[in-house]
Amino acid sequence: MKKFNFHVKPIGLLDMLNFKKLVPNRTQALAEGSPERATASYEVNKLATYLHPKSQQAEITEIIEHGEIAKTFILSGKELAPFRAGQYLSVKLEIGKSILTRPFSISSSPKWVKEGKYALTIKRAPNGFASDWILENWKVGTKVSVSGPEGVFYYEPLRDSKNVVCIAGGSGITPFLSMAYAIRDGIEDFNMTILYGSCTENEILYKKELDQITENCDKVKVIHVLSKEQSSCYEFGFITSEIIEKYAEGEYSVFMCGPSVMYDFVGKELEKLSLKSKFIRREMLAAPSSPKKFKEYKGKIDKEFKLTVKRFGEVLIVPMKAEETVLIALERAGIAVPSKCRGGECGFCRSRLESGEIFTPDELDARRIADIKEGYIHPCCTYPLSDLVIEVWPEQGEQYEEKH
Amino acid sequence: MENIYDVVVIGAGNGGLSAAATAAKNGLKTLLVEQHNLPGGFATSFRRGRFEFEPSLHELCDLGPEENPGDIRKLLERLDVKIEWVPVPEAYRVITTNEGEDNLDVTMPFGVDAFVDKMEEYVPGSRPSMEKFMTLCQNIMDALAYIGKSAGKADSKVLMKEHPNFLKCGGYSVNQVLKAIKMPKKAQRILSAYWCYFGVDGEMLNFAIYGAMVYKYLTRGAYIPKNRSHELSAAMDRRIRELGGDIWYNTRAEKIIMENQKVTGVITDHGVIKCSHVIACCSPNAVFGEMMEKDDVPEKQTRMVNARKFGGRGFVVYLGLNKSAEEIGLTDYSYFIYESLDTVKEVARAKDFNSHPIQATVCLNAANPECSPEGTCIMSFTTFYSEDVWGNIGADEYVEKKREVALNMIRDFEKNVGVSLIPYIEEIEIATPVTMARYTLNPQGTMYAYECSGWDTMLARLMMLEDDQIVSGIRFAGGYGPRIYGYSSTYLNGEMTAKLTIADRRENAK
Repeated sequence: MKKFNFHVKPIGLLDMLNFKKLVPNRTQALAEGSPERATASYEVNKLATYLHPKSQQAEITEIIEHGEIAKTFILSGKELAPFRAGQYLSVKLEIGKSILTRPFSISSSPKWVKEGKYALTIKRAPNGFASDWILENWKVGTKVSVSGPEGVFYYEPLRDSKNVVCIAGGSGITPFLSMAYAIRDGIEDFNMTILYGSCTENEILYKKELDQITENCDKVKVIHVLSKEQSSCYEFGFITSEIIEKYAEGEYSVFMCGPSVMYDFVGKELEKLSLKSKFIRREMLAAPSSPKKFKEYKGKIDKEFKLTVKRFGEVLIVPMKAEETVLIALERAGIAVPSKCRGGECGFCRSRLESGEIFTPDELDARRIADIKEGYIHPCCTYPLSDLVIEVWPEQGEQYEEKH
Repeated sequence: MENIYDVVVIGAGNGGLSAAATAAKNGLKTLLVEQHNLPGGFATSFRRGRFEFEPSLHELCDLGPEENPGDIRKLLERLDVKIEWVPVPEAYRVITTNEGEDNLDVTMPFGVDAFVDKMEEYVPGSRPSMEKFMTLCQNIMDALAYIGKSAGKADSKVLMKEHPNFLKCGGYSVNQVLKAIKMPKKAQRILSAYWCYFGVDGEMLNFAIYGAMVYKYLTRGAYIPKNRSHELSAAMDRRIRELGGDIWYNTRAEKIIMENQKVTGVITDHGVIKCSHVIACCSPNAVFGEMMEKDDVPEKQTRMVNARKFGGRGFVVYLGLNKSAEEIGLTDYSYFIYESLDTVKEVARAKDFNSHPIQATVCLNAANPECSPEGTCIMSFTTFYSEDVWGNIGADEYVEKKREVALNMIRDFEKNVGVSLIPYIEEIEIATPVTMARYTLNPQGTMYAYECSGWDTMLARLMMLEDDQIVSGIRFAGGYGPRIYGYSSTYLNGEMTAKLTIADRRENAK
């Protein structure tokens, strides 16, 4: 490379002086700052904390009963975080010695947040350990700790079709009820056709509320599909591709929320419609209580293993069953680890696997590629195949101090 | 249980990771605490549907190929951190949209000769000035290597004797120097395209810093980790533990305990850690404004914090598209789309809530075809705000506002590159300064720490390394450190800060 002598004209010989001024100029500028105590908390930081609180404290102020099968709990609190219709809250529970979480879609209108209210609808479920406990124990006045609004199951106009067919099963109606309210209240703008599968007319949740919305709002339509009761008012059977095509208009997106049997059935029906995958969105499901459901599972279901847990420099050893997730083993032992979605997606429970063999079902495995390589797991959808050693990092405030 | 460490590193961003690895490698009992549940800070990844997105990295400067390693490859070799890298195919494509007949659409290659040749093709007669530019850059590289080694104690006599050209241009802006070497206006504009990586206009951006970066890109090319930058962060995380360090996630440093003007510990939300040194990979605003007791912070230190200006606040739109890059017609990796290449005007636009902002847009598949499933591709559209405009957006309008900016950025890209994107959006995520604040806790959601411009340029920071050290026992890694922001700078900041801390300990032991 050729050498040359550099000059900035017309300053010429004073060039180096400019360089020499760098330090004195900066020294002077630094000395001219305000002597007031510095801060790192600006409006943007405050908005971030308001929109995404780590936890929120609320009190149950009202309970609405839906026959024998479900209850809606109205949670009231100060400065509750706003949410997008379809999002869920992760509820923290202490049942006996267990510390656990459960995700529930918010069923109220996003407008209600202004009045300091969320509604959660909880349905009795077979073997529903936590839901049964909540239905028994939550009373008016009960204090509840919930996460900020979470999840990505919401309408996004830049991505979804303006026509959305919402397929709901049982308590899977809750995010759609919130979306329907949001449309009625002018917060969201899309054409919603709800295909709501229930066993019998009596088991339809929110029939009256849905009727009221559809009466007042042209953009929301509801078709009830009953599987165990025939009636001229309702469709009969399961939600098939024929029913979807009968009610869908033009190009449409499909949103699904319901039990896993519904996902399996409707999933096959959707294949017949050859929709692009961008037009199908499923609310995530909690990992099943047993890994037997997964074809690729090769473990022995009746085994028991030892789980060694490293936590901020201490070591705990707890029992663990092959047929349960690592997260459930931790919760049974009262070791509170972060968890929200319980279905592999949110990554909030991300923990380090130091040794041992695990099974993570492909369909629930939403780990980062590098995390799989480096041996990280999402305990909520990880089943043990041997003794395990893991490292966890519970968040502050998860009853950690008491037990420490 | 009592926790005793030699050094506590606060924040597992790039600087915190390289600092912790360097400290642990040198035998210090090291604890890295991070408030989030992931390493990397901005260097991470997130999943949506069948896509894994890269949140922040466009291209890593100064890695270089194995046969011509740059400072970052050498650093990773020293730390024994190995991951898979993918080269970026071209330097950049720059498009201007509001200059009438002068609108540009040029694609510049890596390689000094190829770059100079291409410039000559676009701007006949630019060759002599481009060659001068490259020579100056080489001079700067040599001088910066000397200054870096001297750790704040550069000898002005050596600089004058060995690095005269550096001294002559080191005090001037990009615009001043390009004009002085008589570069044709159009070539100056094309050469300035990388300005947005600093978020500073050509009048305020120090020439030496800019020249060094351009030169590193051209001589060594650019790379990205094969599995997003989380791959590098996760590899660093593992290496720290292999070297004997501990990492605590979901752990927030709340207070730094001082006794007789010396650090004696850090209070975290998971207990007290005894230590004599802190390396902070977080803002000095947080350290001196929140973590330390008011009485422990000398007034001079407070003035220093308050005098500084925050750098660009990031805004990124991420798209997972259900068509391949080829089907869509995306041929390039890195697109800079500006209204003009008058950088002063462009930065002025970034001061307001501009819904048609400048954009630095990446099609990840153009460099890394395997980054998403077959028949799909990943794009990200980045802009920045030079003032705290998102601080004026209320919670009620937040979702609408971010969607408005995102939509305009996508449409601007469609129009100026001549492709269609919106019908193919399968996944979309929009990160604003609020999102950055949520995950990194940076004040105002800044991604560029303290702006590197005017009086607060990297050269001045490096020369004042020791003058800046008011509170003993606390040093800064990451984007707030002396080597400024950006991936390569923060990794180097981290290593340098750890080495200085090791030297501090030796000094204290005497």
